[in-house]
Amino acid sequence: MVDLSQINKNQKVLIKQIHAQNTLKKRLFSLGLGVGKEVEVVETSLQKNTIKVALGFSAVALRFDEAKMIEVEAR
Amino acid sequence: MKKIVIALVGQPNVGKSHLANAISGSNLKIGNFAGVTVEKATARLSTEDFAIEFIDLPGLYSLEDFSADEKVTKDFLLTGEYDLILNVIDSTNLDRNLMLTTELMELQKKMVIALNMDDEAIKEGININSDAMSKILSIPCVRVSSKLKTNIDLLVKQILHVTKNSLVTPKLVYSDEVEEQLQTIVRFLDDKHFRSPNSLSNRQIAVGLLWQKKEIYALMHEQPLYIELQPLLNNALGHVYMYCQCDDIEEVINRQHTAFAAGLGAEVLSVSKVKNRNLTQKIDTLLIHKLFGLPIFIFLMWGLFQLTFTLGEIPMGWIEDTFGWLGETIGESITNEALKSLIVDGIIAGVGSVIMFLPNIMILFLGIALLETTGYMSRAAFLLDGFFHKFGLHGKSFVPLVTGFGCSVPAYMAARTLKNKKDRLLTMFIIGFMSCGARLPVYVLFAGAFFEESMAGNALFAIYIIGALMGLIAAKILRVTAFKGEDEPFVMEMPKYRLPSLKLLWFVVYSKSIMYIKKAGTFILLASMLIWFISSYPKNILIEEEYATKIEALQAQLEEAAPAEKTEADSEAKAIEEATANAEIKEPASIEDAIAALENEKHEKLVERTYLGIMGKAIEPAFAPLGFDWKMGVATLSGLAAKEVIVSTLGVLYSLGDEVTEEDTSLREIIASNISLASAMAFIVFVMVYLPCLAATAVFAKEAESLKYTVYLVIFTFATAWILAFITYNIVNLLA
Repeated sequence: MVDLSQINKNQKVLIKQIHAQNTLKKRLFSLGLGVGKEVEVVETSLQKNTIKVALGFSAVALRFDEAKMIEVEAR
Repeated sequence: MKKIVIALVGQPNVGKSHLANAISGSNLKIGNFAGVTVEKATARLSTEDFAIEFIDLPGLYSLEDFSADEKVTKDFLLTGEYDLILNVIDSTNLDRNLMLTTELMELQKKMVIALNMDDEAIKEGININSDAMSKILSIPCVRVSSKLKTNIDLLVKQILHVTKNSLVTPKLVYSDEVEEQLQTIVRFLDDKHFRSPNSLSNRQIAVGLLWQKKEIYALMHEQPLYIELQPLLNNALGHVYMYCQCDDIEEVINRQHTAFAAGLGAEVLSVSKVKNRNLTQKIDTLLIHKLFGLPIFIFLMWGLFQLTFTLGEIPMGWIEDTFGWLGETIGESITNEALKSLIVDGIIAGVGSVIMFLPNIMILFLGIALLETTGYMSRAAFLLDGFFHKFGLHGKSFVPLVTGFGCSVPAYMAARTLKNKKDRLLTMFIIGFMSCGARLPVYVLFAGAFFEESMAGNALFAIYIIGALMGLIAAKILRVTAFKGEDEPFVMEMPKYRLPSLKLLWFVVYSKSIMYIKKAGTFILLASMLIWFISSYPKNILIEEEYATKIEALQAQLEEAAPAEKTEADSEAKAIEEATANAEIKEPASIEDAIAALENEKHEKLVERTYLGIMGKAIEPAFAPLGFDWKMGVATLSGLAAKEVIVSTLGVLYSLGDEVTEEDTSLREIIASNISLASAMAFIVFVMVYLPCLAATAVFAKEAESLKYTVYLVIFTFATAWILAFITYNIVNLLA
């Protein structure tokens, strides 16, 4: 399984599945991180703590722990 | 006149407040919404004799109670009293904004959609066919720009139109399979002639049941027909799961809503050119850069504090001069000694010393408002999350913590964005370490008194940084002791960078300044008068007379110009014996000096015998290990009422207790000559950490929903403040 934390900067991927618990899953959905959406990793912080992903017209910041829960597929 | 209550709902950063501001012009007043401390903005519009009242609800991404402030919005929408929902949408991000809109449509309330930021959308080549959208949804949709104020009149017209007419059910269509199952449930309810007690339509109930909404389940569970309903529902859910090939209802709902939003987007949205859109991206490559991001952030913060001090210094001088002049002029025209003292030493000295810091406060609040409105705040959270996480805090804690530099009251409320109760409480415990604007006067006063002017700004920055660092350490300690538990996930939107509207910035700074002046004019005025009174009474005529005779005796000697022995001094009280002894030692230097010393001692003795002096003496032992004299002890206690009062108390105490000569009028100089560096540093540390004012503590109690934690806060802050001040005092003494 490939997850979002393994994706390099400036790479575009499709979200396949979200392996998060209920509340977090809903939050990811409502921020636009839905299954089937295309996202791009645009920035990672110094110690690989947080990443910024771009999707459609917006951008979302995630911690690496949360990125690990998002299963993706390279395009 | 009929009143219309409008609930302003939208995702964060869509310009809800700005739109309310644009609709109402300068009539907007912001106050607290009773009960849930949601900001209620009231505006009176004369059109057709309607008064429109806006409830500015906290922004939310979806109707799930993820965080406490989103819960406030959800609860209000479900149970509050309002006439219609004004759903504000960011036109440049239609897709995601529509996700919330679909959820709002399921509420079956009267609704108007404002497609805000139209100007920005046009620039980015985004065009939304609002007429088509209105038809598809059966909800009036209006393209507006709160910045350029376009179509605002049309929006108001639509709001009035929708209010006056009866509810038109919004058209929210699900996929055929889901619709089929919904029909089955609705038909069953209709056949049973079911009428919901709170006037929900049967379709609403069907949707609520299928989407497994707790509230609807609770409602239906009480009905006898639930027994028959249940197998039907089971069957329907099974069909939906099978069709979606997924057995998580949230995912099903999300897919349904996404599909509807996407379909709607395809119908009404056309994008012509891709321009401008990457500007935010470009700025971000620098501002959240791996290596440069943090230094830039620290530089920006440093700049803000430098500006607060250096720029604020200029008008501060003017205000100080004005109050000095005012004191002298009024003092000359009043003959009654007691009244003169009350007005000059009490009111003018107290209120003046607080008003003086208004420019600093304005600059600080402007800085915080800029951070918030431009979108940089979430970048800072992104940059700091890794660092914060090590201390057991959350990147999002940054927002309440920075707000804490302004005032602890809104900061405690801002902590609602944190979902996890423990994270929230932890952040709230730490907010006190972020020195609020009211403490700024104390710092400016002491930094100015003990540091060169060129260094004072840096000293100020250092005070804030040290406070923040102590906060982080305290957070770590609390995290591993009192607040053990799971971390809250860090997921957060990075909004677009936007130039804030000058009007909104002005509105924020203006309302904060007015609040500050009001506080100075009422609360601090009263506190100054009270402190003046308890520091002037009871009058001790005995001491006054004794010293008067002593001074007269010396003066007589001065006139004779003969340095004769001075053994004839009357020695009625012990205190005076001591004083005489002192005077005799000093005598060889000059009689004039002796007179001045006596004069000082007289004031000292007088103040010590007042109510305040007695109180101060009583608590002095508690503060003595920190190097505080009783005046400083009293000032810290009075600071519990409001931190600004510390300065006004010092102002009143030192202007009464000491000889205020023409060349020594400024409080800053008096403090520099009366307080040792070690005591001053200990004092700053104490003020930095000890309990926020009573108002903030009350808000803490309300937000924490627990008396226990409030008591902890009081003990924790006082103990920490005392210990840290003690350490500081001793270290500085060792070094000096």
